[in-house]
Amino acid sequence: MKQILYILIAIGFYSCETDVTNDITLKGSTPRLVVNGGIERNTMTPLNEQKIELSTTVGFLEKKEPIPVTNASVIVNDGTDDFEFLHTANGVYVNDRIEAKLNTVYTINVQWNGETYTGKDFLSEVPDFDRVYAVFEEETLFTDQGYFLNFDSTDPANVDNYYYYRVFKNDEFTIVPDPGNNVTIIEKDQFFDGKSRVGINPNEEVSFEIGDKAGVQQLAISANYYNYLVELFTQTGSQGFSLIGNPPPASIRSNLININTPKNRVLGYFYAADVKEASLLISE
Amino acid sequence: MRQYLLFFLLLGATITNAQKRFTLSGYISEKETGEKLFGVNVLASATLGTITNDYGFYSITLPAGLYKITINYLGFTDIEREINLDRNINLDFELEESLDQLKEVVISSNSTNKAVTSTEMSVSVLSAKTIKKLPMVLGEPDLLKSIQLLPGVSSVNEASSGFNVRGGSSDQNLILLDEATIYNASHLFGFFSVFNTSAVKDMKLYKGGIPSVYGGRLSSVLDIKQKEGNKKKFGGTLGLGLISSKALIEGPIFKGDNEEGKGSFMLAGRRSYIDVFSSLSEDFKNSTLFFYDLNLKANYKLNAKNNIFLSSYFGRDHFELDNLVGAIWGNASGTIRWTSILNDKLFLQTSAIFSNYDYTLDNLRSGSSFRWKSNITNYNFKPRLIWYLNSKNTIRTGVDYTYYNFKPGEIEELNGSGINPEKFEEKFGTEGAVYVDIKQELSEKLSLQYGVRLSNFSRRGKDMIPTYNTVSPLTYNTLQDIYVENEIIDVVSYGSGAKIKEYWGVEPRFSSRYLINDMNSVKFSYNRMYQYLHLISNTTSATPLDIWAPSGPFLKPQSVDQFAIGYFKNFNDNKYNFSVEAYHKNFNDVTDFIDGADLLFTENIETQIAQGKGRAYGLEFQLNKNSGKLTGWANYTLARSERKIMGINNNDYYPTNNDQLHEFNIVGLYKLNERWDFGANFVFGSGRPVTYPTGKYNQTGLVVTDYQNRNGDRLPAYHRLDISATLNPKVGKRGKWIFSVANVYNRQNAASIYFSEVSEVNDKQVATGRTQATKLSFFGIVPTLSYQFKF
Repeated sequence: MKQILYILIAIGFYSCETDVTNDITLKGSTPRLVVNGGIERNTMTPLNEQKIELSTTVGFLEKKEPIPVTNASVIVNDGTDDFEFLHTANGVYVNDRIEAKLNTVYTINVQWNGETYTGKDFLSEVPDFDRVYAVFEEETLFTDQGYFLNFDSTDPANVDNYYYYRVFKNDEFTIVPDPGNNVTIIEKDQFFDGKSRVGINPNEEVSFEIGDKAGVQQLAISANYYNYLVELFTQTGSQGFSLIGNPPPASIRSNLININTPKNRVLGYFYAADVKEASLLISE
Repeated sequence: MRQYLLFFLLLGATITNAQKRFTLSGYISEKETGEKLFGVNVLASATLGTITNDYGFYSITLPAGLYKITINYLGFTDIEREINLDRNINLDFELEESLDQLKEVVISSNSTNKAVTSTEMSVSVLSAKTIKKLPMVLGEPDLLKSIQLLPGVSSVNEASSGFNVRGGSSDQNLILLDEATIYNASHLFGFFSVFNTSAVKDMKLYKGGIPSVYGGRLSSVLDIKQKEGNKKKFGGTLGLGLISSKALIEGPIFKGDNEEGKGSFMLAGRRSYIDVFSSLSEDFKNSTLFFYDLNLKANYKLNAKNNIFLSSYFGRDHFELDNLVGAIWGNASGTIRWTSILNDKLFLQTSAIFSNYDYTLDNLRSGSSFRWKSNITNYNFKPRLIWYLNSKNTIRTGVDYTYYNFKPGEIEELNGSGINPEKFEEKFGTEGAVYVDIKQELSEKLSLQYGVRLSNFSRRGKDMIPTYNTVSPLTYNTLQDIYVENEIIDVVSYGSGAKIKEYWGVEPRFSSRYLINDMNSVKFSYNRMYQYLHLISNTTSATPLDIWAPSGPFLKPQSVDQFAIGYFKNFNDNKYNFSVEAYHKNFNDVTDFIDGADLLFTENIETQIAQGKGRAYGLEFQLNKNSGKLTGWANYTLARSERKIMGINNNDYYPTNNDQLHEFNIVGLYKLNERWDFGANFVFGSGRPVTYPTGKYNQTGLVVTDYQNRNGDRLPAYHRLDISATLNPKVGKRGKWIFSVANVYNRQNAASIYFSEVSEVNDKQVATGRTQATKLSFFGIVPTLSYQFKF
């Protein structure tokens, strides 16, 4: 969908993109704490442990990764018990005793640098796929030629459902920044409540070749996480010019707050999700 | 109370009218075509006179006596006539185009001296003739691009469908095409405007001192008039361009053997054919991209005193990308107008107008295809009475009533995708206003134009209005610095026509001119305006898919108070005029998006926007050269435009998207000889606001950007030079060639600079984790050629 700009060529003149990375000096700001991770309930491939990653922001054009936070205390509560997550490496904190349960509120509590951050999310059930299959598609203006994953699924009636799809190529989670992500990778059932849908492509940017292992996960996420991801995918897909949906750039608000110094905001999301998955081998 | 005030004002104006006086009145038209001319000076002496109104009618009441009446209109030969005013006289004049082609007005006022003597300020007039001489940016003379060469008028970028006047947002312009409101003035996402310059006669832009006859938008009135059509003979023009072609035919109706028809008509059409070229490319084989429009105008003279007019516009854009997205949008409008000379002092015009803007957006992705439809329709009725009381006083009064029907959105299934149809509640409203506008010459030095407009907006049923927990749709959470949507606890149903919410606005308007001497004047103006409709644009610059939302229980009308003061000077025998104007505007209840607003398919728009205040101030310098081989203008604007809305930018003032500190334009038109005309313009603007990132982090496998202040950074400065040459036909020949080069030195002006993760390596799409800054420019050097043929 990057090619949306090429439409302008068709208008009879050209638009031009220039890399100006080296011409721009950003003001930057003090680093902020970032949370990335959550609680996943996977009944098909039960998880041995739950993971949460902590880091701090770096300047946008700096040629380095966000800096891992290794000395924080991370506790998740499932309504009855506290589970402490311990740092392993590179800012990843794990716990192997916590159990992901349906219809449960999970609350996170992070203590770092003398400040406490807290937030919560709700885990609800996701339906399984009706069918998962691969479809060959010719090259189009916006997609490469190749095999694409498609699935059929039935939405539970009379409940608000929010979906998030993950696609795996040879067991590796694959995602590309793209303007279409905010309507493809996440969906709400506003327009298909209780319906069976066929031929859904969970990620139009990921194509497969014969011999590839193609995997897909369907996650039930909370309305709050859905709204967070809409903002996230809109922002990461932005190409400076958009026909639909290009709100002013703004810091995407986390579901965690800093209870000591609210102005010193935390970024990222602590989620809770139910997962159904399927995979297949691409063949002719 | 208001009626008494009006009565009092009228009485005051009448008292001076005691001695024996007679009225000279009639129409003034162009000799060659019979087109009525407006803004023509009718002078009984150096200081005593009037101008023709929008329909070419004039009326002047003077003490009985012998007068030498001078009719003067720049670009036309003056007429002088001795008249013994011993009774009421009805006299029409026909003006002939001046043979001295060098005496052409280019901008600003109809008469060279009018800039100084008129009570109006902050007003610009551009004729279609001038617009056609300016270099073309994209192969088409373009009205909206041309007005951006005026001081205080700009746009956010080349692909923004709107324009911004004195720091106002693009929805604050009242765009009238033969009195019908145009809701979206752009084709092709803003690269072209909907006005076919062949069909346009001229346009007038009010930036300030807006008279009370206009209302409903805060920042400007762009009043565009279409050609009436030649009353004397059939004819037409054909224009062939690289991007679009157009045709126009015009001629008399019921001419018989008379010199002039009882009426005339004009029919114009235009279509772009980019799609013809694009279909040649394999990539765009199944894509669609074109626009067309049709303009029709007809008038008929019922008798000496009554005329009827019919005017209509229809335009459409079609856009489709195979299996992805399709969109169709456009305006349609129709106006029926009746003008009547009730007596030689009273002129009545009555218009009934229909106007519609709609779009459909098709999601063509397999499995989830649907069609999204939205539109806004209005019916407008506006009678206006002009009373030429005497040579010193003219009163305009009338009613302006509009009925609105908004269909914010409707979703339909497409290609059997099984999507649930959904329809957002239709919204209804009425906007009514009564106004009076008085032009009064207090003395030879001091003249005033003042009035008041009393406006009302009423949201009506049938509608379903949600009741939010804690009353308001959003609560600002200071802890998280975020707006939190409140839960809907109830929905109140209103029956058809039931009043949901009502707003009133008292809008005083005032302008004055003090003549220091014939060549110098100072002016002051003040206006308050109310706007009851808000354009909820889902992008930073306006697009065809924007939603017009009416004021209601959760959305207050916006308002502005504008003060302006100016100094006007003519010199070198009116060859040049110079003006400087300063303005200050205070806005109330302007809207902006809250951080993280989601506007796609959102029914309750009030949950995505916040209202606050704004301010704009600036200084505009303008120098015109009106006659000679070289004509043109230069202007410089120093301006600031800011907003302060709770929850945005840490509750501090921040620059609006169109804020631009410096803007400089220079336009030159040079007539070498009878055959060659040259034009050039240079524009410079300091960088517009942009929000640059303050940090990055990882989330869901992608690099995410963090921001702090809204519009806290600046894009690089914008500048561009365009040139054109016109080869006029030899005597007896009809074809004309226009060569134009836009952006001569191929500057890649930044339309935006955006920050993203590098997502492509060797043509393969992957998330790399690396970051980049990319400048997007819309066009470099664009040479174009067009050919026009007159028949």
